[in-house]
Amino acid sequence: MTLPAFDNPTLTHVAAYIGAAVAMGFGAIGAATGEGFTASKASEAIARNREHSGDIIKNMLVGQAISESASIFSLVVAILLLFMEIPDPGMVKAASLLGAGLCMGFGAIGSGVGAGVPAGRSCLAIARQPAISGRITTNMLIGTAVCQTPAIFAMVVALILLFKPTAGVPAFPTAAALIGAGLSTGLAAVGSGYGGGMAAGASCEGVARQPENATAVTTTMLVGQAVAQTPSVFGLLISFILMFRTFPESSALSASVGLFSAGLCMGLGGIGPGIGNGMTAEGAVRWVARRITYAGDLMRIMLVGQAVSQSTAIYAMVVSLALIFVV
Amino acid sequence: MDRLGEIHQLLIALPGYTVTINLEVLVMTGVVVLLALIFGFAAGRKTGLLPGPFQIIGELLVSQLYGLTEEALGKRYAKIYAPMICALFIFLLISNWLGILPHLEEPTRDLNTPLGLGIMGFVIAHYVGIKEKGFKVYIKSYFEPVFFLMPLNVIGELAKIVSISFRLFGNIMGGAIIILVVSYLTFNILLPPFLNAFFGLFVGTIQAFVFTMLTVVYISVQLK
Repeated sequence: MTLPAFDNPTLTHVAAYIGAAVAMGFGAIGAATGEGFTASKASEAIARNREHSGDIIKNMLVGQAISESASIFSLVVAILLLFMEIPDPGMVKAASLLGAGLCMGFGAIGSGVGAGVPAGRSCLAIARQPAISGRITTNMLIGTAVCQTPAIFAMVVALILLFKPTAGVPAFPTAAALIGAGLSTGLAAVGSGYGGGMAAGASCEGVARQPENATAVTTTMLVGQAVAQTPSVFGLLISFILMFRTFPESSALSASVGLFSAGLCMGLGGIGPGIGNGMTAEGAVRWVARRITYAGDLMRIMLVGQAVSQSTAIYAMVVSLALIFVV
Repeated sequence: MDRLGEIHQLLIALPGYTVTINLEVLVMTGVVVLLALIFGFAAGRKTGLLPGPFQIIGELLVSQLYGLTEEALGKRYAKIYAPMICALFIFLLISNWLGILPHLEEPTRDLNTPLGLGIMGFVIAHYVGIKEKGFKVYIKSYFEPVFFLMPLNVIGELAKIVSISFRLFGNIMGGAIIILVVSYLTFNILLPPFLNAFFGLFVGTIQAFVFTMLTVVYISVQLK
């Protein structure tokens, strides 16, 4: 057995193919799970309220279409990786393409699962309060759209990595930095996407339970989701630094591993706070719907709790910044 | 495709350092301010018991935002800060919607705009905090629950600026990049108007509201 020639175009294409596989393979997990959840809740909703099955099915299909968008992003990135012309093949481009695939693949998981939750819960909500199905669907659309933000961040980083000119850039440590950039936003998006979905799910339930409090519920949901997305914003920040900072050429292993680890640290560190903040927001939104008079206190406690739970994402960001600028 | 990440800059060389001015952002911010002024003029020109369309939109925006601010900050501070909050929301809304018009760009697509507004909100929040609680209590809040957590509390406060400004910037710039790439891939057929409607109008509105609400909430956290 002989190995194929290991020149620059081959290396770049290998990276692009692996990247495409990762992007679409991982990207399919989230949306499929989320849509399944939506359909299961829609079945339950129809079983409870047969007369309004038309509204429920319409709502289910709209919700599923939005959960699907994360995996459509993955599809776009995978197709670009497979068929785009690669202008300057080489080690850095290979790393950049692999990073793009990793980023979009991981980044689509959280948003896909997350967007399925409000879609499902809103079907149940329509079964409970068919009279305001329009209001519930609007609330679901806003919630699921905000859930997509981490996936949009991942797609932005993936597209920048795909089209970034790399000619004449020293191979190390830039190559490692670009893979790190992909991992940072990609992994950090997992928690934030799912967390935002939990908050949005609770708000759909809340709107159905107390339609007169719908505005307060939607506002609390948006603020809670926004804070739950902070870890993925930090991931985006680290990715931008890793992508756009010029690193001096160095063949030392430690420099490359340091930059790669910076991305990995922020990515993994963002998963937990994203989910945790989502849980906090879910609880707050649920109880704002039931006890509107305490809305101010609930919002404040939510923010304080989220800030504490988010401190771990800040630790991860501090370590990442130290890895990039200090070590 | 070459337009991805392209920025027109004016570089002014001064002895010692170079001043960089992003021309497009300046011009587009001017356009936004102009549009906001036109809207304000149209809404406030002929006010009456039988309102015109612009007056209705204006009254709706102001009364809703005033209500939200009053809920979070209380009557006294709402009177001071609600006008700023309304102005912030209207500026961001027009900024985020500007990208749907050909040849115009959202000023919020450049990090400088959201970062500037984020720092503004941060400074206001901390000014209110110091004024309301007194300097001693304000400083003491950084040393809680244990004194050696002070550096992390400070970083946590500064991270708020990063998160609020990068959220808006990432969403708007992300939408712009996705529209550009997808339009290029589909040869500008069929999809771009829908993408513009989603990223420009829908996501733009939500993100403008989220930015405004977070600014209010950051102020209200400093009050308590």
